[in-house]
Amino acid sequence: MIWHILKRELFDHINSLRFALTTFIMIALMVTNAIVHLQKYADQIQAYSKNVTVSTNKLKAQTRLYRLVQRGPGELYKRPSALSFIANGGDAFLPKLVIDDDSWTAGDVKSIATVGYPETKQKSKNLRPPGVPLDWVFIITYLFSFIPILFSFDALSGEREHGTLRLCLANPISRSLIVVSKFLGILIALVLPFTFAFLLNITILSTSPWIQFAPADWARLGLVFLIACCYAGIFIAVGLMVSARLERRMSLVVLLLIWVIVVVFMPLTLGTLAVKWSTPIQTVHQFRATKREFINNTRTENSRKWSQMKRNIDRNIAQKDELLPMLRFKMEWVNFDRNIREDLNREYLMAQIKQVQQARFVCRLSPAATVQYTLESMAATGLNRHRQFVENVQLYTKRFRQFIVEIDSTDAESLHLIGIPEGMSNKPITPEQIPIFEDKLTLRDSFNSALVDMLLLVLFAGVSLSGACLFFLRADV
Amino acid sequence: MLPTLIRQQFLSHLISARFFAAVIITLLLVVFNTLVLIDEYERRLADYNIQKTVHRQKVEAAETYSTLELFIERPPNPLSLFSTGLEKQLGSTVEIYYSLVPLISNASARYLANPFLNLFLKIDLAFIFQVVLSLLALLFAYDAISGERETGTLRILISQPVSRSSLLVGTYIGAMICLLLPLLLSLLLILILLSTTSSIQLSPDDFLRISGIFLTTIAYVSIFYLIGLLISTISQRTATSAMLCMFSWVVLVILYPTWSQFTMNPVGDTHAEKSSVEREINQIWEEVDREKRRFVANSPLMGKPPWFNLTGKGAVAWGDGRYKVNLELDPQSEELVPHVQEYYKTISALEIRLAKKTALIREQSLERTDIQQSRWDELLMKLSPASLYRFATAAWVGTDLDGMLDFAEATQKYHQALIDYFYQEDAFASRLWFASDKGIVDWSNLPQFHFDRKDVWVNAHRAIPELFVLFVMNLALFSGTVQVFIRMDV
Repeated sequence: MIWHILKRELFDHINSLRFALTTFIMIALMVTNAIVHLQKYADQIQAYSKNVTVSTNKLKAQTRLYRLVQRGPGELYKRPSALSFIANGGDAFLPKLVIDDDSWTAGDVKSIATVGYPETKQKSKNLRPPGVPLDWVFIITYLFSFIPILFSFDALSGEREHGTLRLCLANPISRSLIVVSKFLGILIALVLPFTFAFLLNITILSTSPWIQFAPADWARLGLVFLIACCYAGIFIAVGLMVSARLERRMSLVVLLLIWVIVVVFMPLTLGTLAVKWSTPIQTVHQFRATKREFINNTRTENSRKWSQMKRNIDRNIAQKDELLPMLRFKMEWVNFDRNIREDLNREYLMAQIKQVQQARFVCRLSPAATVQYTLESMAATGLNRHRQFVENVQLYTKRFRQFIVEIDSTDAESLHLIGIPEGMSNKPITPEQIPIFEDKLTLRDSFNSALVDMLLLVLFAGVSLSGACLFFLRADV
Repeated sequence: MLPTLIRQQFLSHLISARFFAAVIITLLLVVFNTLVLIDEYERRLADYNIQKTVHRQKVEAAETYSTLELFIERPPNPLSLFSTGLEKQLGSTVEIYYSLVPLISNASARYLANPFLNLFLKIDLAFIFQVVLSLLALLFAYDAISGERETGTLRILISQPVSRSSLLVGTYIGAMICLLLPLLLSLLLILILLSTTSSIQLSPDDFLRISGIFLTTIAYVSIFYLIGLLISTISQRTATSAMLCMFSWVVLVILYPTWSQFTMNPVGDTHAEKSSVEREINQIWEEVDREKRRFVANSPLMGKPPWFNLTGKGAVAWGDGRYKVNLELDPQSEELVPHVQEYYKTISALEIRLAKKTALIREQSLERTDIQQSRWDELLMKLSPASLYRFATAAWVGTDLDGMLDFAEATQKYHQALIDYFYQEDAFASRLWFASDKGIVDWSNLPQFHFDRKDVWVNAHRAIPELFVLFVMNLALFSGTVQVFIRMDV
């Protein structure tokens, strides 16, 4: 029996005007998305490889070990995602690289490289009217909530008004099965044009020489497809829920108002509101002032000690082993300075990110926002991706420093004082040995960061579907 | 007969549950967002005041004319909560110095809050009206004719001694009055909320601007009502009409503006143009270097500026193509001072001349690239009434591109005022330009910058084309509906 209802529903939908309109809109949007991405991605990836080559060449041109410590690995770039057509993730706002933080010199003491995070672009010189990119996030969050409503608002109420629902119920079939079969009928009617548009989009993208989908990318695309279906399912179920109780016109109005609030306004306002209520963090001005104050304090204090030591040594002609404590002091100083500055930078970045994450937590009340975050994780763009990039950089920095220590330990003449020129190996290094930064992201990372959101979506869908069954069970026909 | 029709339409909408639900939602959204937006405006105002203090301190810290670091700040627009436009997107701090004429692209941003928060998109009140009221208008209209036809009441109505066109007029006016209610209530609530905050003082001009927005909103809502009415007249069944209405809404309001901006780029890639202009400007500035060398060769000065062969101590900083110099000279350099004064006088006169020359080139290039691009975007987006409405409200408020260009013009005037001030004080030729050993500069005569928004008539002038298009659309839609309705079988 369920198959009969399902088949009838499906044929009804496929013959309807709304199905034709949906197909047209979806294909138009997805094709546009693919074509524009083709042009943009080629530019992005070219700029990225140029930057990386320049930065790597600079690094490989270094021959002395101390210079490696002093200048650090140079600029480290974030690899643009090949899947950014799925979710743009506000990449225009996020920094694309990690730099060496501001360095200082005090007499014959030089600071050593610190991992620093450039400021996020707050405002651009872009004179174009403000707008959002036409990525899959836009297409899915708006269309996959609006169209399910248009398909489901009259699914039960319309049949009730025509009286066919009574006929249907006269058959030996449970009410929840009717709801489920209607749910599946609408879902399949939606997924059909989406699959078509999806495949068209991928086909256009595959024609580009710049984009090659790895097996992991196909897995990501598959997950995106499932997420989109799950999201559409939520709104179909909500539509059925409302349509089980209200008459047709009213259910359209109620559903559209729900849609406007949940999909259009909640993601826009909840974030701002949550930020307003969260604990304020330092502004960039304040942070810079704290950092400068700290650097200056340690520097003045240590410079004084340092020049005193030098004076003491100069008076009685020094032996090499007498110089050692002095050099050790200098080494400890620059390393301490670096560690503290790095900690400050990291703490500040984490405080900023934490504030955004708290706000995002509140935004998750709206499934549209949840889908946005999930797709960002899948496409490897946006805030989570930025965090992973920062983590990659930190891991790499650790490896880089390890490498310096190892090279230094092979030299018997060196004093093994990492951080000062006098205490390190002077032997030339082979450029091939220097580790190079590779910004990689595994599917597992993306999946882990998206897992909670995906569970949340499934939960939303489950709750609303059982709600629809429950509402229909209790409805008068 | 017409008043009866209007009354009947109005009342039937007024008591309907959809009207009630829609009004509640609109008011909730408006109140909620107004509170958020007022809070946000207050924060921006506080930032603006902090920045102004910081800028003033920087001016007062300068001891010589050349070390002056003069920044000006664009004040936040109190009406920007109605329509944000480009207000938050563009930088608000501009540095003014004699050898660069500031353009709109020279504004930069200072960071005060957590910049990652830009990941959250901001909204304004015009967006609420744009989305909610248009949807409401369509919900009122989609069954206005087709519903009556399906229930058969249309036949009864037509049998009355009333022309078909006045029937339509009655329906239209009745529904429009009903649609005005949530709009009026929202505006009232917004004004009440605005009047309770001390940070926003509305001038009479501002009230005129708000009335302008009100008028534009009516024209906009009416377009959507008429679209619904037309669809409802054409469609045979209410269900079809509802579908067509909903799809036209989502295309016109949500999809088309994004699609158009994302896809269309008639200006194309502007990188080549920009870099060629940059090269051209660098060539022009080379003249300064030649002049500098020539001057030094023909005078007792030796070596490179700004130290030449002077002795003493002091601070020299290089930035943005100029030296910021603050020296304390030894007595034996004293005889060179007149030559240095002459040097700065000659060179800065040349620099000011070249700055004007390059400003012209830069301005033209900007016009051809970024501004052209923005205008094209605007034009293409305006094919949708929703975008037309957005641009019209931004024009009323003064946060559109023209409003931002007004500010750029004000900064240029102030730049000229600074140069006039320097000439009046004979700053370029004075010892105080580079040395502070015989007294420091007194900045009390420095012209102050203040930016007044253009008056409301300028705003009206800018909004009128959009408003006119909205009215023409209304007329066309209405006459189209009348034509279709007159020929229709009932």
